[in-house]
Amino acid sequence: MIELNNQNSPFIHFHQKISFKFDGIKYFGYKGDTIASALFRNGIKLIGRSFKYHRPRGIYTCGIEEPNALVQIISEYSEPNVRATVKKIYEGMEVESQNRWPSLDFDIGSINNVFSPLFSAGFYYKTFMGPHKSFWKKIYEPVIRKAAGLGKPPKEFKAISSHLHHNVDIVIVGGGLNGLLAAVSLLNTNYDVLLIESDNQLGGILNNSSKINEINGKPSQEWIKETIENIENSKNIKILKNTLVTTYNYINHLIAVEDKYVGAKPTEDKVNSTLHKIRTEHVILSNGHIERFLSFQNNDLPGIMLGASFEKYICRYGVIPSKEPVIFSNNSNSNSLVQTLLELNIKPKAYIDSRSGEQIEGQLFDLIRKNDIPLYTNAQVKAAYGNKKLEKIIVEDSSGGTSEIATDFLCVSGGINPDVHLFTQSKGLLDWDEKDLTYKPSTPFQNTITLGSASGQFNLEEVENEINKKLKIFSPNKIKIKIKSSTANEYQIQKLWEVAAHKSSMWSKSFIDLQNDVTTKDIRQAISEGFDRIEHLKRFTTNSMGTDQGKISSINALGIVSDLLDKKVNEVGTTIYRPPYAPLSFAAIAGRNSYEFYDPERKSPIHQWHIKNGAVFEDVGQWKRPWYFPNSKSESMHDAVQRESKNVRENAGVLDGSTLGKIEIKGKDALNFMNLIYTNSFTKMKPGSARYALMLGEDGMVKDDGIICKISDEHFIATTTTGGAANVLACMEEYAQTEWPNLKVYMNSITEQFATFNISGPKTREIMSKVFSEIDFSNEAFPFMTFQFHEFEKTQIRIMRASFTGEMGYEIYVPASSALKIWERIHEYGKEFGLIPYGTETMHLLRAEKGYIIVGQDTDGSITPIDLGLNWMIGKNKIDFLGKRSLTRSDTVRSDRKQLVGIMPTNKEDQIQEGQHILLQETIETPVPMLGHITSSYHSPTMGHTFGLAVIKDGHSLIGTKAFASTSDQKTIPIDIVKPIFYDEKNERLVS
Amino acid sequence: MLVIDCPYCGPRDQSEFSNGGEAHVKRPDGSQDISDREWGEYVFIRSNPKGLFYERWVHSHGCRKWFNCVRDTSTDEILEIYKLDDPQPPLKKFENKIKTPSGEPDVGSGNFTVKK
Repeated sequence: MIELNNQNSPFIHFHQKISFKFDGIKYFGYKGDTIASALFRNGIKLIGRSFKYHRPRGIYTCGIEEPNALVQIISEYSEPNVRATVKKIYEGMEVESQNRWPSLDFDIGSINNVFSPLFSAGFYYKTFMGPHKSFWKKIYEPVIRKAAGLGKPPKEFKAISSHLHHNVDIVIVGGGLNGLLAAVSLLNTNYDVLLIESDNQLGGILNNSSKINEINGKPSQEWIKETIENIENSKNIKILKNTLVTTYNYINHLIAVEDKYVGAKPTEDKVNSTLHKIRTEHVILSNGHIERFLSFQNNDLPGIMLGASFEKYICRYGVIPSKEPVIFSNNSNSNSLVQTLLELNIKPKAYIDSRSGEQIEGQLFDLIRKNDIPLYTNAQVKAAYGNKKLEKIIVEDSSGGTSEIATDFLCVSGGINPDVHLFTQSKGLLDWDEKDLTYKPSTPFQNTITLGSASGQFNLEEVENEINKKLKIFSPNKIKIKIKSSTANEYQIQKLWEVAAHKSSMWSKSFIDLQNDVTTKDIRQAISEGFDRIEHLKRFTTNSMGTDQGKISSINALGIVSDLLDKKVNEVGTTIYRPPYAPLSFAAIAGRNSYEFYDPERKSPIHQWHIKNGAVFEDVGQWKRPWYFPNSKSESMHDAVQRESKNVRENAGVLDGSTLGKIEIKGKDALNFMNLIYTNSFTKMKPGSARYALMLGEDGMVKDDGIICKISDEHFIATTTTGGAANVLACMEEYAQTEWPNLKVYMNSITEQFATFNISGPKTREIMSKVFSEIDFSNEAFPFMTFQFHEFEKTQIRIMRASFTGEMGYEIYVPASSALKIWERIHEYGKEFGLIPYGTETMHLLRAEKGYIIVGQDTDGSITPIDLGLNWMIGKNKIDFLGKRSLTRSDTVRSDRKQLVGIMPTNKEDQIQEGQHILLQETIETPVPMLGHITSSYHSPTMGHTFGLAVIKDGHSLIGTKAFASTSDQKTIPIDIVKPIFYDEKNERLVS
Repeated sequence: MLVIDCPYCGPRDQSEFSNGGEAHVKRPDGSQDISDREWGEYVFIRSNPKGLFYERWVHSHGCRKWFNCVRDTSTDEILEIYKLDDPQPPLKKFENKIKTPSGEPDVGSGNFTVKK
């Protein structure tokens, strides 16, 4: 067994062994390990299968940029697509590889690789078109979905997250060398500062490589420790670790997600992650850089990895993925890797550089020579070969000569890019640097400062200068820093995007996007097919469209495209970087707004009584309303509603109508205002009377209805529909403030202050006279559509004579605090008269028998009062009201508008079904003319059959004729079109 | 998310507000004898410029007050906020902010990512 541990790493607790499972097999790692570093410790290199071709894949990077090593965490509700390179292990963790069947080692889906010459760019767009439209949905899509893709969605998910808001002056993104220095320079200033680091260790490059050995004469780890202590002791800087900034919005609004369970199993009773919503004045981006890869034949084999990542595994995670790696580079960033390996007495098997011997830094050159490492200059890795793991590579030198090197590991470096993702999200502009061959932040749009390698400043000697210059606006503490680095300070790179190798076979591929299986050939094909704009090319090839967003490869693609088109990279441009920077779980976004907190639940003041009395509830907007009250467990909804309806028609019933919106309108001009808001005229109405009223939109369509009580010309109380209350109040406010500011009028919601009980039925008067024995309920003393205030047991109540059922009835308005007392009293006294509570379904049935509409059910935003036959409600003599002018528009006076009618089945045993279409002929021939539909339908216990309301084209003139209604089993039933009233047409019961 | 400076309450997050569309659209009152077309334009037609736009907002989860603002729709920058009875600020005041012929500022619109 080769010793793969680097005991020098201070971040791994080598005395704390942790066991975990990968694909069912138990392995050991140490505290501090990621899944990836632990797997390397166990010699595992094959970790997943690729998206499209099911090619074997290993670990390519050591961070958030990982394209390949995505795993499913079985022990956390089977969370899919977790980056093995970021997620830390804990005792008992269960991990599974993704996108393979039946096993990772033997994957049937890899047959796709054999057919891969067929699956070129745009394959889906071109192939799955015929022979019939239904083939996509029924055959292609299910098959493709099964074969392609990432992890499996979790079956049962219960992550808990919370949200935290911050308002600060400065946010520093990234706690590496520059982030720490920025914090030091702001130490104990008057700025409120937040330092955010995605890792659980601050230090960045100081931890990840051996580039910097000493800062200000101290070993770098010692310097970090001291600096962190200073920051933690400061009054103005807060550190957030394990927190990834995913989003940089307009007006310096950042979103960051904090993992609360790093290296531990999340529990159900505590918050797993916190979403930080941060508003700040300034943002300092010191989030560093990302290394990019290089394309050559089979550059995806397990055992190929980015050079800087290899070094990070050694330094940060104390594991050496291979003892004999080959290094292939075109830039100076790999120098420190050679240094790190040699310090551990590991001799790279070969060092291959596309640069010439003169271009390679002298220090590195000497090191390689001194240690006798095989050096290939002016050379490129042409291809890699191996079965499920790297076995050998072919190196080609400038003369075209090739040599073969047997190796199990290859470290690749194609250069480094500033991590500009957040900078571009903030809408800053990038500029191409022809020397360093990368995009660098140029013009910021917001108060954004970039520092260090995030700004494209790769020279360590410049750090002090840059920070003092760029942070000057804060009048900070001056930074004095002396960095001793082990390698060359200057960054140097030679242009190389892909190795131009001859095609060796149809199946060997040179990948440009590892996660989405896009090859350099696909890029060429897209351009030859005319997709030469970068945004088009991205969508056609799916390049950089994976969950990694092409972090290690998108610049390479731009380089290849610019060469192919013979354009400057700046002219090619980039695709737009959109948030989030890395996948953000829905659980984190939802926060506490999930499960029972998803939407507020509103309850009537007597909700508990309903529960005790066995009510079944219905959601109406945010309200929980009793739907019906079954008298036993076995009574069905139909039976309960029939029984309740019958009882209301024969005896009496009471409904909890507390959810109805109630708005109080007061002011010198309240009468004028009400006349403008509603269609009706309230001018001649006597104080103490009530009126059914309609509210329209400016387009003339019915928006809401309700009963208006006039207390005086300066005081009204309006009821609204349960769901429309907020909108009606908002509409009143809008017009009062914006259109008629001269009117002295004020309004407020009193919905929750008062409970409402609607009692109705032929025995109502007797019951009311008993409950409120001092009040005269005779027709003369208390006529229909009037209201009175009464004192009842020291509580002021309002009683209104009104009805929504067609029976005589009263509405009682009670302060919410006394609601239960009066509700129980009504039941106590009403029992002998057969009074029962009834729910919303019975209310709907009874009102439909009377042809009373429900706004939103019988109307849909395209129905005028005239369409409803409610012409009588329009104040003809009023000069103006909302929507008045629209009622005479050419469109609203058409006779063939959809109008409200009643319908009855010709054969009484037929069922009329809500939502079905009205036809004029018996057979259904497509296309069926859209004449109208059934808006309400119920079975009437009074009539003994079903009936309905419908909106039909030219309906008013069709009354008295016959038609057909479709049914859910594609048949039709004959119907009679009748007036929309089925019960007590003369309203005798109402006013009795 | 925008920060909107409510003239009554001070700066607050956008989530407390609702947008009310174009501002300064006068409602023809019922005493006016106007054609179907004129009325229809009031009800249904609003301008939708790329660039400077007068618009209405209401602090719906705050003081419930309506107010007006001038916003650059291509960058989301709010240039001025004023009460309903304040005079309408002339667009001239802001015009130097627009740089490109299409009305697109060269930084901040998000349509450009790279310096030309």
